[in-house]
Amino acid sequence: MSSTCCTPPEFVPPANPPAEGTLRTVVLIGPPNSGKSTLFNKLTGLRQKVANFPGVTVEQRLGLMAGVGRDDLTLIDLPGIYSLNPYSEDERVSIDVLQGKMPGAPKPDAVILVLDSLHMTRQLMLAAPVLAVGLPTLVLLNMSDLMEARGGKVDVLKLAKELGAPVAQISAVNGTGLEAVSLFLNQHTERTAAKPLALPVLGNAASTHNWAAQVSRKTGYQAPLSAENTRKIDDVLLHRFWGPLLFLIVVVGVFEVVFSIGQPLSDGLGDILARMGELVRPLLPAGWLQSLLLDGAWKGISSVLVFLPQILLLFLFIGVLEDSGYLARAALIADRVMRTIGLNGKAFIPLLSAYACAVPAIMATRTIENRRDRLATILVTPFMTCSARLPVYMLLIAAFIPNTTYLHGILGLQTLTMLGLYLAGFVGAMTTAWLLKSSILKSSETPFILELPQYRMPTLYSLGLRLLDRARIFLRQAGTIILLVTLALWVLAHLPVVHTATGAIAAPELADSVIGRLGHFIEPAIAPLGFNWKIGIGLLSSVLAREVMVSTMGTLYGADPGTQAMHLQTALHHDMKLGGALALMIFFAFAMQCTSTMAVVRRETNSWKWPALQFAYMLVLAYVAAFAVNHIATMIFG
Amino acid sequence: MTIPHLHSPAAAAYEPALPTGSEQVDAQPERAKQHWNRAKLLRFERQPGVRQVSVLSELKVGESGVLVALDLPESVQNHLMHMGFVPDALVTALRRAPAGDPTVYAVDGMEIALRRETAEAIRIKPQAAENEDPAEDELIEAAQ
Repeated sequence: MSSTCCTPPEFVPPANPPAEGTLRTVVLIGPPNSGKSTLFNKLTGLRQKVANFPGVTVEQRLGLMAGVGRDDLTLIDLPGIYSLNPYSEDERVSIDVLQGKMPGAPKPDAVILVLDSLHMTRQLMLAAPVLAVGLPTLVLLNMSDLMEARGGKVDVLKLAKELGAPVAQISAVNGTGLEAVSLFLNQHTERTAAKPLALPVLGNAASTHNWAAQVSRKTGYQAPLSAENTRKIDDVLLHRFWGPLLFLIVVVGVFEVVFSIGQPLSDGLGDILARMGELVRPLLPAGWLQSLLLDGAWKGISSVLVFLPQILLLFLFIGVLEDSGYLARAALIADRVMRTIGLNGKAFIPLLSAYACAVPAIMATRTIENRRDRLATILVTPFMTCSARLPVYMLLIAAFIPNTTYLHGILGLQTLTMLGLYLAGFVGAMTTAWLLKSSILKSSETPFILELPQYRMPTLYSLGLRLLDRARIFLRQAGTIILLVTLALWVLAHLPVVHTATGAIAAPELADSVIGRLGHFIEPAIAPLGFNWKIGIGLLSSVLAREVMVSTMGTLYGADPGTQAMHLQTALHHDMKLGGALALMIFFAFAMQCTSTMAVVRRETNSWKWPALQFAYMLVLAYVAAFAVNHIATMIFG
Repeated sequence: MTIPHLHSPAAAAYEPALPTGSEQVDAQPERAKQHWNRAKLLRFERQPGVRQVSVLSELKVGESGVLVALDLPESVQNHLMHMGFVPDALVTALRRAPAGDPTVYAVDGMEIALRRETAEAIRIKPQAAENEDPAEDELIEAAQ
């Protein structure tokens, strides 16, 4: 039967479909860069979720196989791995999942193994240990269209015989050959006739390689000509002179585009959200409910929602860089600089992704083999200017930095301030990494081994899925944490109620409210930084997430009759000086205000010690830097 | 350029030595010629088998060598072998990173970047002595 599996058009539906309940969970496994993620997206469509395997740092993606009409089956996507030797954490997790020993993951009933047919010999080295697990396995040779176009070939029938498992040629990008998957799912329970002939000594790389070479020889595998495109592109992108220059252009260009395109989009969205609020206002009875919903909740939420376009743009660019294969080149170029601070080029990838968000960036540190290097990277990642800081920076810059331009309008003072803040975060990360690597995290250097994948055109589909995922997370955050915080703030700002002279119940003066008293209580601690008590409340609430600062300000100033009618920027001007504003920006550049990041650091390092140390270190640094900035700025500008 | 495709180790063993030297010159004219001359010189000037063994980091860009052994910790060795750095594999130095250090090597159709200190621990021998090797057709595949 294995032989019929290889020519999809001739497939005959199985006579006896397997009994109900025999097949529930399928595992998808394959080496890095084998096109596994694309296939996963094709097989599951939108019905997927990302989670972490409990207790370990390895991300698991789960989906229902709706893409092949089997939404009764769960597909588990394992991390891209080279072997099943329990060497890295990824590999250990993969073994546990395959053997059904991973708590929290269902025991698999079948395996889909994806191999890149452009490098079949080497990729077959993973097939040996996977087949040895003994589960029904379907082997998919991905990118077979490319292989044939470049003059490669392989006898699929012979390969199926050699492996003792059905083999099919597919192209995950084009979605061709996927019928084989549904066929395999329908008939996998019938035992295949021939068992694998001879598997190599497992765990021995040389023996596994010999076996793989032998199999590919027997199946007449002819490797396709390697794509010249990748080398030609690299001639430019890794050129001694153009390489670093283009690298800088890419990094700066991403931000330039995010701001120049994203800003008008954000402004537009802000207008729409404000108008929506005003449309609803007449429908609500005037009084506390209207105030709670519109001045509290809606104002708070929309002050954060407006940053969605910019955050999505940033993720889009990082996604394009990653999917195209450029990030690996960036790591290669950055290696020389990164080693001077004791890290290697691979640490650059998480640091760049951290411009979008520290949480996925910290997960991306998994590719760093050395534990101490990885820890150092995790600890400095939150210094990189993440997209959650943007709302705060932009609010303060728009409010306090004049829109002066230099050099005939090419350089604006506002842009320069923003760049300065990015630089401050970067320098903070680099200095801290160097400090860590030359003290508590000193280690012998691990070899830097980096695979440079072939360049690929990122697909709209996978980019779209990425953005959808991000938007969902952002909106969920806005709908839960931010909504709750703004509602709580509004309530605290309106309690305790006071009785007016006429006997009616009214809200207290903001300064006399619960929140006002709390603010005044902490004011002495933050006054040296140039912050008043309202900023203090903002700082307290932004420990949850940085962007909450903006919604808190929106709610507080909205609750204060003196500033209610004002635009938030004007209101801020009301009781903050330039020194304080600059200090606040620097404070945000350095402080660790993000519970999600702390949670992910806790999970990745498996101890509270590191996130606690990180929080304390960053808080002290932020306080000292803000103190210095406030005093220097006050001396200069008064 | 037609390249004989060998189908079994046994067949490879009886195959007459390929004129690898001249082929190599065809493919990569100047650099390869220099490399060849150097390799020959080394062999004639010194005792055979002593200076033939060198390390990967000594390859200039465009030069190739045949992998002999990895003098690295076992876990690293294993990882590299799964990426194609197995004994008898043909490794070509493709390019250096702009800063001059990590070097990109082509092995088994893949491109892998290694730092100098790692490449120094990977022993290679000149390609010439490799004609009777059973892993011949992978070499040819890689060379393609």
